[in-house]
Amino acid sequence: MMQHKNLSAAPSASTESNAHLRLDGLTKRYGESFAVASLDLAVPKGELVALLGPSGCGKTTTLRMVAGLITPSEGRIVVGGNDITAMPPYQRDMGLVFQSYALFPHMSVAKNVAFGLEMRKVPKTEIATRVKDALAMVRLETLAERKPRELSGGQQQRVALARALVIQPSILLLDEPLSNLDAKLRDEMRNEIRDIQQNLGITAVFVTHDQVEALSMCDKVVVMKAGKLEQIGTPVEVYEQPASPFVASFVGRTNRLEGMAKGDGTIQVGTIALKVPTRTRGPVDIMMRPHRIRLLEATRDPADDSTNQIHGTIKRVTFVGDLLQYHVDVEGSEIIVEAASDHGRGIRNVGMPVTLSWRVEDTMVFGRSA
Amino acid sequence: MSTAAAAHPPYSMPRVTLGRAGTATLLLLPIALVNAMGFIVPVLNLLRMSFYEALAGGGIRETFTLASWSGLFRDAFYVDLIVNSIVVSLSITFATLLVSYPIALYLHRSSGRWRTFLTVLVISPLLTSAVVRTYGWIALLADQGPIVGSIAALGFTPPRLMFNTTGVVIGLTEILMPYMILSLLAGFGRLDPRVEEAAMTLGARPSQTFWRVILPLTVPGIALGCLLCFVLAVSSFITPKLLGGGRVFLLATEIYDQAIVTLNWPLAATLSMLVLIIFGAALAVYARVLRVIE
Repeated sequence: MMQHKNLSAAPSASTESNAHLRLDGLTKRYGESFAVASLDLAVPKGELVALLGPSGCGKTTTLRMVAGLITPSEGRIVVGGNDITAMPPYQRDMGLVFQSYALFPHMSVAKNVAFGLEMRKVPKTEIATRVKDALAMVRLETLAERKPRELSGGQQQRVALARALVIQPSILLLDEPLSNLDAKLRDEMRNEIRDIQQNLGITAVFVTHDQVEALSMCDKVVVMKAGKLEQIGTPVEVYEQPASPFVASFVGRTNRLEGMAKGDGTIQVGTIALKVPTRTRGPVDIMMRPHRIRLLEATRDPADDSTNQIHGTIKRVTFVGDLLQYHVDVEGSEIIVEAASDHGRGIRNVGMPVTLSWRVEDTMVFGRSA
Repeated sequence: MSTAAAAHPPYSMPRVTLGRAGTATLLLLPIALVNAMGFIVPVLNLLRMSFYEALAGGGIRETFTLASWSGLFRDAFYVDLIVNSIVVSLSITFATLLVSYPIALYLHRSSGRWRTFLTVLVISPLLTSAVVRTYGWIALLADQGPIVGSIAALGFTPPRLMFNTTGVVIGLTEILMPYMILSLLAGFGRLDPRVEEAAMTLGARPSQTFWRVILPLTVPGIALGCLLCFVLAVSSFITPKLLGGGRVFLLATEIYDQAIVTLNWPLAATLSMLVLIIFGAALAVYARVLRVIE
């Protein structure tokens, strides 16, 4: 009896000790459908975690439940050991940056940033200095008296960030904060948000559908699909060891082939036998990253246990600046190969027979359920 | 024939081309004409009339005199009348705003069929004339009516709800509500649910969110609704006449009395010009409010 109790208590106690934000079976139902289905997540203090997934995967619903703007159907939200599931948003002490920034249009930049402090009844002189510091942090000191509509998208974004951070929230929540910015600004803001988050050592949750943002900014990536968790891991884990074909195809580009695993470390794909790093048996999906495949002359190299080699014909070549994309026809399936472009030299032509070569360990295999 | 056709390419007829300004003038001409004949000329006539001399028995002598205007400000009755009209109209405007604002806010936040249904419900009183609705209020507010009856049944001394200012305010408030609600809705465009959520996550309680965010963002709608209702209240005549029972003296009812009963047209014209001046002042306040919030 005693032993049983300890066993059940042990796992939750260990996650409790290092998790600053913890979601326990968090669920949101709308009628019969699940927006979020029993999500468990533990975010250690000071980490930036990305909720990554396509639109409708429940990532924004999750974030809004954490902020208190949506009431969960089931489950708990725990911050620093306190259950805040039933707490109204204005008591939660969270900084939320909206996709649309949601600045107060009738207030100046300084007033926008001061708002949270005024709600907390911070003394006026302290508000002045903290607003100044927050605006300095996002390099907007000179625009303090402007109205939001007089600012560019990037500047509004930084005001929203300053407004969320000036209250020194226990958790920073970012809802697709970069999606309304142009590509160049997005790269800048990505680094800026990451730097600020690390300097403050604040726990942060970042919702995005952009795998580049998730991989480049975050300590951990939570891949979601249809309200469920697909995989949690570091960016490298999620990219290199995807837990499912969905994760493999959503995080980075992949080629996909269907085959039959024979249980001896090989898989039959049409007439081709591929070597794989697993001994599963049955129908499988095989995935390879386009940039891990090398394009060789059609002459066959001597057989090698550590690489797979298959033959095909180039159907199309796309020049993408820093990359060359080859679409290669292999027995009727198309495999995409990416190679660095070298001053436009060494481009192979359409119709050329080639050999595709990749390392066995770069072959990802996922069992298919019938 | 065919050679002629070849020499003149199609659409080569000389065309009258109007510039942008020309087109605008042409399009505005009909309404400008109607306005000139139906509004500006009559107003100028009224202005001229207000400087004519009134003779006993309804006669008018077409000589210039300031008698009507100076009489207005020397007679305590008329000073009271002006002040009373403005105060009562402002009270009606404020009461209308107070009861309409929650309805407009709810309507703004509802959606789909429910919203359509509610909107129709809000507008539907406009399908009946103000006269009919005023008689409805007479039935409700009368001394033997259900409201007075209920208050008396509870053991309180019932207040007089009709043939006094209270009755006028109650009746006009209800009659003006659709205008106020529609104006408020038209001015609620800047209200963004995300902005309210932002206020909440920053620590604002619902009441603070209302006073600091929702209310300031709806000022354009409030200003528009108040302007419209104030103007309608000042110029309304049937409802004060019936619900006031001849005991509530307002500008519009007095103009009617002077023009129709006493037959003092110069004084009626003077009072009408005064109403126009009050409207002008209300418009100036409205413009100022809009400038300040911009």
